[in-house]
Amino acid sequence: MRRIALFMTLLVVAAFTLMGTVVMAQDAPSVAVITPYLAQPGTQFLVEGFQTSATDLGWTVNVIDTAGDVAAVISRIEDVVNQGVDAIVINVDPAQVSAGLQTAADAGIPVFGMDAGADALLITNVTSNGYAMAAETATYVTDRIGGAGGVVMFVFDPYPPVQKRGIIADTIFGNNPDITIIDRITPDVTDGGIADSRAKMEAVLAANPEPGSIKAVWAAWDQPALGALQAIEAAGRQNEGIVIVGIDANPQALDAIAAGGNFEASVAQDFSGIGEATADAVARVLAGETINQRVIYVPTTLVTSANVADFLGS
Amino acid sequence: MVSTQAQLGRWLRRSGTLIGFIVVIVYFTINIPNTFLTLPNWLNISQQISMLAVVAFTMTIVMVMGDFDLSVGSMASLAGIVAALLFRDSQPVLLGVVAALVVGLIGGLINGVLVSYIGITPFVATLGTLTVFSGVAFLLSGGETIFGRDIPADFSTFARGGIPVGMVNERPLLFPNLTIMALIVFVIVWVVLEQTAFGRRLYAIGGNVEAARLGGVRVRLLRLIAFMLTGMGAALAGLMYASRVASANPTQGAGLMLDAIAAVFLGMTLSEEGEPHVAGTLLGILILGVLDNGLTQMKVDSYVREVLIGAIIIGAVTSSSLNRRGR
Repeated sequence: MRRIALFMTLLVVAAFTLMGTVVMAQDAPSVAVITPYLAQPGTQFLVEGFQTSATDLGWTVNVIDTAGDVAAVISRIEDVVNQGVDAIVINVDPAQVSAGLQTAADAGIPVFGMDAGADALLITNVTSNGYAMAAETATYVTDRIGGAGGVVMFVFDPYPPVQKRGIIADTIFGNNPDITIIDRITPDVTDGGIADSRAKMEAVLAANPEPGSIKAVWAAWDQPALGALQAIEAAGRQNEGIVIVGIDANPQALDAIAAGGNFEASVAQDFSGIGEATADAVARVLAGETINQRVIYVPTTLVTSANVADFLGS
Repeated sequence: MVSTQAQLGRWLRRSGTLIGFIVVIVYFTINIPNTFLTLPNWLNISQQISMLAVVAFTMTIVMVMGDFDLSVGSMASLAGIVAALLFRDSQPVLLGVVAALVVGLIGGLINGVLVSYIGITPFVATLGTLTVFSGVAFLLSGGETIFGRDIPADFSTFARGGIPVGMVNERPLLFPNLTIMALIVFVIVWVVLEQTAFGRRLYAIGGNVEAARLGGVRVRLLRLIAFMLTGMGAALAGLMYASRVASANPTQGAGLMLDAIAAVFLGMTLSEEGEPHVAGTLLGILILGVLDNGLTQMKVDSYVREVLIGAIIIGAVTSSSLNRRGR
């Protein structure tokens, strides 16, 4: 009995000490940032970019990660609406959280998409142009292999922003009659996507042992491209000239491109720029302005060995 | 005097988790004075935990026998996908819902046969079916999220609706439909486990399976039925989830399984014998839901929140097992 009391007391004291350190002042504009995807590097840059601007503006920012659970995003939106925040920023497909968006709209709290998706209940969505990014890398692959040969695609259709990229690559490769799609793989992303992509690529390599049978790997984001690179190197087939491209230009991908191996290109989204532009949009609305643009696009850059040095330090 | 003390001790032993829960509520009430202890917020919490509640209530049925079902999360995803695909095919809402529930029953039947008749341990059997159900959900949906016009308004507005119980800020305050569903499932599971011969026999199996068998309990059949009920509960939760997010995704139920098991374990600390009871499970779910809600409103970092919730589960279970051992 004493032990129970002791345990519960210790727990509660520990909990409250932790909370005490993170509870902030209440008077500055308060903005909640809610995402299920904070473990993704891209999302972290988004949030950091947003926080940098928000700190300059003196806002209180509450970043909430629901660890992959979309329904929990709705719950957390309801919570912060109850709490009476000044604005909400989401990084999730808005079509799936419209119940929460409606709650916020009813309470008159503006909701912004940060690399989310367009939705009538969002003030605006700030993002990169996914179609344009996929077109950049798919065109790069097509040009590099002379419009002919076998291509392995890594896609992820359950997540609409990534699904968009796959559709464009399908179209560009489909427009080149001599390009054959060897496989269109959806990797298991629960471990981050590299390990399973590597395993899937190893299987493709085993099934296509002839040098030159695989000309390129097009990945809708960098993790599968990195997994494919590992598989190709482990199989000792790095000198067959297999061209690998990814999208997002994450630090590991940049290193791989700088190393001058098979991983030749990726597209750098300006995640922190998206975060900053989102904060800018929030600031405009809090100042009373009306935003008409349903989607605000922040420019992206194709990264190759030619310009990778510009991105390595950033 | 001694007996009073002993009684108090027994009560405290059973109620450590409950006391902790009350302390948490008092703490949030003090620190979030304007919004935490309000009817809208509690209706909000009840709606947020409703899907997890349905999974955890029905998970309690198999955990009574000392078994568990790891496949509930994938079953929830699969049920949502099955319903959404039928909706996309312009089938009536009722057909989609019934088909999803039937899929849940069949999934539970498979689990039950594997565990009860083939004799595979629940961990291995349901780990296997977890992967199978998830794979089938991916196969059926082609990996896509089914949303938008494919989901009929009748289905998606259900999760937003409720019974009006008053007005707050000139808007109707609703007693959410999802909460009502969870309450109905609670009552059904409570009656089944606590008021029927079926329930008593499940507890007998959990106590000593050999003794139960020798006592004439049809262990295999009861186990099979229990797994079917858990499967159907998972499917119902998957439908509620799909209605709430107005979409179906082959991975969306994945988070439900561990939280449901955690809730049952939290509830077990309330029972003198360490048995799962559905009322205890309800408290376990409330603890998880209230912590999520209160910590969000207090702007506590979400990773700190996860650490806290995990620590509280371990703390509650540890203190109750230490006490049981110390007796």
